[in-house]
Amino acid sequence: MVRSSRRLVRVPIAVLAAATVASGLAACGGSDDSGGGSGGGSDAGAANEASDVGVTEDTVTVGAHFPLTGVAAPGYSEIPTGTQAYFDYVNAAGGVNGRTIEYEYLDDAYNPTNTSQVTNQLVLDDEIFAMLGGLGTPTHSAVIDFLNDEGVPDLFVSSGSLLWDDAEEHPTTFGWQPDYEIEGKIIGQYIKENFPDAKVGLFLQDDDFGENGEKGIREYVDDQVVSAQRYTPGNTDVGPQIAALKAAGADFVAGFNVPSYTALSQLTALQLGYDPQWFYSNVGSDPALVGSLLNNFSKGKVTDAALLDGALTTEYLPSVDQPDNPWTQLFQKVWDASGQEGQLTNYRIYGMAEAYTFVQALQAAGQNPTREGIVDAVEQAGADFEGPALAPFRYSADKHAGVGGMLVSQITGTSSEEKTPVLTTDNGDAEITEYDGEPSTPPSSGIPDVEPVE
Amino acid sequence: MQQFIDTTLSGLAQGMVFAAFALALVLIWRSTRIVNFAQGSMAMATTFVALALIQAGWNYWAALAAALVSGFVLGAVVERVVIRRVEGGPELNAVIVTLGLFVAIQAAVAIIAGSSFQSFPAPFGLRGFTIGGNTIALTPNRVYVIAAVLLTMALLVALFRFTRVGLAMRAAAFGQEVARLLGVRVGRMLTLGWALAAVVGSLAGLLIAGGSFVYPAYMDSLIVFGFVAAVLGGLDSPIGAVVGGLLLGLALSYVSAYFGGSSVVNLAALVILVVVLLVRPGGLFASTVARRA
Repeated sequence: MVRSSRRLVRVPIAVLAAATVASGLAACGGSDDSGGGSGGGSDAGAANEASDVGVTEDTVTVGAHFPLTGVAAPGYSEIPTGTQAYFDYVNAAGGVNGRTIEYEYLDDAYNPTNTSQVTNQLVLDDEIFAMLGGLGTPTHSAVIDFLNDEGVPDLFVSSGSLLWDDAEEHPTTFGWQPDYEIEGKIIGQYIKENFPDAKVGLFLQDDDFGENGEKGIREYVDDQVVSAQRYTPGNTDVGPQIAALKAAGADFVAGFNVPSYTALSQLTALQLGYDPQWFYSNVGSDPALVGSLLNNFSKGKVTDAALLDGALTTEYLPSVDQPDNPWTQLFQKVWDASGQEGQLTNYRIYGMAEAYTFVQALQAAGQNPTREGIVDAVEQAGADFEGPALAPFRYSADKHAGVGGMLVSQITGTSSEEKTPVLTTDNGDAEITEYDGEPSTPPSSGIPDVEPVE
Repeated sequence: MQQFIDTTLSGLAQGMVFAAFALALVLIWRSTRIVNFAQGSMAMATTFVALALIQAGWNYWAALAAALVSGFVLGAVVERVVIRRVEGGPELNAVIVTLGLFVAIQAAVAIIAGSSFQSFPAPFGLRGFTIGGNTIALTPNRVYVIAAVLLTMALLVALFRFTRVGLAMRAAAFGQEVARLLGVRVGRMLTLGWALAAVVGSLAGLLIAGGSFVYPAYMDSLIVFGFVAAVLGGLDSPIGAVVGGLLLGLALSYVSAYFGGSSVVNLAALVILVVVLLVRPGGLFASTVARRA
């Protein structure tokens, strides 16, 4: 499994081509299905209209920017293929209110300059109705003002920065995944309760990501933190940082870093004979991806290929190693039906889950959605959207933050073991509480059915 | 203290890596008087050749040999097919062509091998040695890197100082007309210089990759650091390249650990470059004062 997942991230261009062809085919086939709407609220009798930019009688066009090439591409380039697969699935069942969803994602190589360029293209040339799941903090920050100025709904940014939750400054922008601050809080509380005597070291990406996470962790274990080390993405020599953590005597290291730096930190720690308890935030911990990064070393003299074994992490979505989870089963079915190359991965599940939320938002926006309408709909109904995420969204008129909880788990091989129940919280002083809701299950059709808001 | 030792050892190991790359730049400069910016891409390409062979089941040493041979061929082909056409013209033309090659080769490898991170196996262990109960940041693999770079440096010094071929290569680079009149087959010497430089570059690429990650752009930062190391050492001297590499590696490691952190490392490298060029424009080990580029 590890081998094949490496093979599949090696062909992003082919995947992109396949996805483009698939979206083209979906668009061609779309008009045949109009009228067969499976979504809720398709009022009999009322007609579909081209109600706003990017909406026609039988299509809705959404766009996104993702790193399909470059250092951030491993893993992240798979997310839009998952989104595409889910939209294909919905379109094959007639779309939403008789409209097929056309999805167009462009490569920004995780470079903010490119992000501005491709976003201009999407908004001005391709006239998308909404931006969906644009990935990355530095990248998306570059276009957030433009999208808001143009009134484009900027839904479900693929990043856990706190920047997306500012309903006054950026009224059309919504976060989606749990933000790094609440993740830091949940990690901090876990350390405080389970490792009260640990000397905590922090290994942080030197930007918003590390900063937000550190803020959350320090709310609980500020007095236990003995050292905070920051790395700059692009500088692959983390030797001095890991040596400093070791010198400070940290026996518990919490990392807010991307997957390639998980692998680098493990490798450097191995060189230094440094063996603390590791806790990687959700972003940096995909065991299959990190395992595939470290895989070739096992052919050299490193005998211990499962370096990540025993590391702690957090989860907020079902994963591929839970084949009994009904959501994973649905996403497996969707992925198999899409006929795209490669296997289902956690990144593809992420993309599908975002697509699922978008379909809910589109249904809530009613039969003839407008840009303002869909923003209102998420604000009003978003907190009640039931989906694959383990905890509910925090959406309201003045709160645009995404999923409000996660659980702590421990990596064992390429699978993981839950260490806590789902914990929910909010930014700032909000307490951490155990989530008391029932785990959601997908509808039998695999397509949500949300009532339009008024 | 332990942290200081680890930071120092880590800096020395990084410095050796810079030195390996600087050696390749020095070699091509000495034998053709061109600064080859494509060196990094060419080394990266042969590293991917080695990785493909290792993944196909070859052992490390066989793959290393194959990579060095492919480096030799690649260097010779690039010189014959591309560089030959701009040789003898303004020097800037050749430099710009190498920049173009740099981008082209990188793109070609990305198309063939993909642009994702892949780990590259190391021939020796990646766990640090233990001394008196403390593990230090010196691994068997790093010892191998250091030994390989020192050996390469010694071979290069010997080549240029003690062999007729080395003399002919230097002559061909310094004064083509005169060398030709004296019976040196200048064309062949230039091709040989490129081929040998590509071999050293390939070795550097493999040493850098061992026990780390490769992707088509993995040499990018090393091109800058290797170039700084080569200029520090005078661009003309193999020993200077190694010393320059070590100094740079140590300086950057201390900067990252004690002064400002990881984010100012690139800035520090450029400051060092500017200071050296201002204070000793010829580099620390320059043999001649007058230089052409």
